[in-house]
Amino acid sequence: MSNQPETLYRALSDAVVGMDEEKTRQLSEQAVQTGVDAYTAIEQGLVDGMNRAGQLFETEEYFIPELLLCSDAMYAGLDVLRPHLKRDHSVARPKVVIGVVEGDTHDIGKNLVKIMLEASGFETIDLGRDIPPKRFVEEAVKHEAQVIALSTLMTTTMDGMAEVIQLLRQAQLRERFKVIVGGGPISQAFADRIGADGYSSGAPGAVKLVKQLVGVAA
Amino acid sequence: MTPLERFAAYGKGQPIDRLPCVPIVGNTAARVLGVKVSAFRGNGRLIADAQIAAYRRFGYDVIRVFTDLYTQAEAMGAKVHYPDDETAYLAGPAIDSVARIARLKPADPWRDGNLPAHLDAMARVHQAVGQEVPVNGALTGPFTTASFLIGTENLARLMLKEPAAVHQLCELACLSALAYARAILSAGCTPSLTDAMCSTTVISPRQFREFGFPYLKRIIDFLHSQGRAATLHICGKTRPIWEAMADTGADCLSLDNAANLAEAKSKVGHRVRLMGNVPPSEIMLQGTPAQVREAVRACVRQAHDNPKGLIVASGCSLPVETPWKNIDAMLAAVREIGWPVDPPSLNQALN
Repeated sequence: MSNQPETLYRALSDAVVGMDEEKTRQLSEQAVQTGVDAYTAIEQGLVDGMNRAGQLFETEEYFIPELLLCSDAMYAGLDVLRPHLKRDHSVARPKVVIGVVEGDTHDIGKNLVKIMLEASGFETIDLGRDIPPKRFVEEAVKHEAQVIALSTLMTTTMDGMAEVIQLLRQAQLRERFKVIVGGGPISQAFADRIGADGYSSGAPGAVKLVKQLVGVAA
Repeated sequence: MTPLERFAAYGKGQPIDRLPCVPIVGNTAARVLGVKVSAFRGNGRLIADAQIAAYRRFGYDVIRVFTDLYTQAEAMGAKVHYPDDETAYLAGPAIDSVARIARLKPADPWRDGNLPAHLDAMARVHQAVGQEVPVNGALTGPFTTASFLIGTENLARLMLKEPAAVHQLCELACLSALAYARAILSAGCTPSLTDAMCSTTVISPRQFREFGFPYLKRIIDFLHSQGRAATLHICGKTRPIWEAMADTGADCLSLDNAANLAEAKSKVGHRVRLMGNVPPSEIMLQGTPAQVREAVRACVRQAHDNPKGLIVASGCSLPVETPWKNIDAMLAAVREIGWPVDPPSLNQALN
């Protein structure tokens, strides 16, 4: 293998797309040892690979199992590279509080959105599943998030999404956060009706939506 | 016509009064009887009373004894949470690692979990109204049950890393399903299959062929050997696997509202009856009766001439709180269209 950093970045990206967790870890260690810039290795290697995986998901060449293994590889690489980030690269990233609404434990959709958001440079605060509306508000305030992302697969929990927005209004915090909703039973019409800022039917669309809402270049 | 008479005549190409219509009523039946959803747990008599009451209230064409997708997985050890008055959901899988697969056993439908209560419900419904309406027992597909046994994300990763373990889980789930199918038949009902996780919203068509298809086919072969027709429902996106779904031998495909019935008709309509696909959440739960009517007419426009026939249905089980007026509107729309279907009149607005 050539010692050019670009070759290493490409290899990292390929290892992520190739779902090869072990190889991604090894290449990340190699990057640390050879002293290449950790930030660039993450951006042009790991994140580039995850974005390619996201494109393959959008074109239905990859499905959820493949995307999960790609993300495992990405996170394995991040574990190695992140401690070596120079301070000026650890600037604040826009924060998204994300979770599955109370009464539902289906969290694959939420997890995919989280993975793709992180690959796009957002910091996510993942509350998990079966989360009461009040906690979304508390956590968003506590972490000074810009976006609250609500997911559900069950129609029974849709009211919980509306309640989050109600709680924000009551606390006069509605303007402070962008609220996005998604999941099987959700539609744009529902998002409009409860006064959400946006809806997406899938993970890649959710990332574009968040970028738009917080004004980050896509 | 009774629903059974309607289906029999429709199948032979004889005159009928209207297309068969199935708003898929599960726990909504609790509302008709005025009981809490959680009261169904372990109570076959109550499930039966509610299903019979809902059928009599709305007059649809298939009764499906169904509360949630987890009954078989629960009978094999998965943990299910029962909210006071909403549909149950999976609290945790039966096992958390491949090493523990050896601990799992196929469920005994007469003994384990809530399966005996469901069989009791099916027998009671069959006894009460089985002479006039088809009574189905919900049967969860092996791949979906496998995902509840070890957790969906776990299973997704194992498909690529340890496919043999996934097959082991599917095999166990399939043995449970076959035993349950036999029991459902002995209760006088017909199993109707749902394999939610086989959707291409989740797995690839190739993964469906490998992990979903073989087990579905075994169950459907068994149903055919018992002289029963098989209905197969898969949620979410399914277009890339319609042919594979037909290859399972299923006689009827029940499609989610993510599917277009006209497209399904042209691809597999010469092989299978189509059932669908009024949106359960956006239209049936949140829409108006006028929107329900429009959605029914869209389904009928798309597939009334399906070579193997059409059942106007909701795209999935109805949400518990679906307004009754929307269920009534669905039946009314199908009656209004009548038979034979007159395509130009489908475009007319309501006066």
